[in-house]
Amino acid sequence: MSGHRVDAFRFTGRLIKKIILEAIESTTPPTSIPWAVPAKPLVESRVALLTTAGISMRGDPPFDMETERNNPTWGDPSWRKIRFDATHNDIVANHLHIDTTYIENDINVALPLLPLRDLITMGVVGSSAPNHYSIMGFQGVDSRTLENVSAPEIAQAMQNDEVDLAILAPV
Amino acid sequence: MARKIEKAGIPTVTVNLIWEFQRALGMPRVAAVEHPFGRPYGEVADRATQTAVLRAALDVFASAKQPGHVAHLDFIWHQEPRQTRWHPQEPAPIIRFMKEQGRI
Repeated sequence: MSGHRVDAFRFTGRLIKKIILEAIESTTPPTSIPWAVPAKPLVESRVALLTTAGISMRGDPPFDMETERNNPTWGDPSWRKIRFDATHNDIVANHLHIDTTYIENDINVALPLLPLRDLITMGVVGSSAPNHYSIMGFQGVDSRTLENVSAPEIAQAMQNDEVDLAILAPV
Repeated sequence: MARKIEKAGIPTVTVNLIWEFQRALGMPRVAAVEHPFGRPYGEVADRATQTAVLRAALDVFASAKQPGHVAHLDFIWHQEPRQTRWHPQEPAPIIRFMKEQGRI
């Protein structure tokens, strides 16, 4: 890239910046970072996407906003599969910390299924996993269920689908 | 989440708006992008930018040589911050709660 340094707080406003920086500074960083080496070139790799936008397929249980409204320090720790052929007509988004109307008008702003399809057609990427993933990013004061239950379940589901690479995008 | 998937043997790149979380979380690879909350890959119907961001994130698998790498993507959002709307329709419960407690 061209030397641009991203300003993480350009769009957040001062209050959100203050809250986030306090959260960062009060967290003890992990002592090591896991590392897996890509097994294949990109053009042969199967890719899965994950978003934190609280997206679910119509017909699946939506992420639970009502409990969070009643208990603001709680966030739904569950996860959902999103099919590769899903469009904005097939999904609902439940997330109380962002304006979800953008995602509901174009799922690709947060879960870029059509761009992935384009990159496969262009010969950049090998293939798409049949399933992609959504969680709900806000976890309140306790992210243990997300980390210790949902994350291993998602990793196992990716392994079952023989996923080579995963792209995650918090919203 | 990225750490758990990486530990399972699947390499990850996290496309991150708030990439400064990296020093608290220790994500394996980060692609930092200066976009607003809710639209990390780009604007509604802007397929060219969405595809370019995804491709740039995929390129980080090759460019990152060590754990914790942060790549700064050079995308420029099409609106100034004061014109960019990302806030939820109703105040987030935690914000309301913290205000009621006088913490913010």
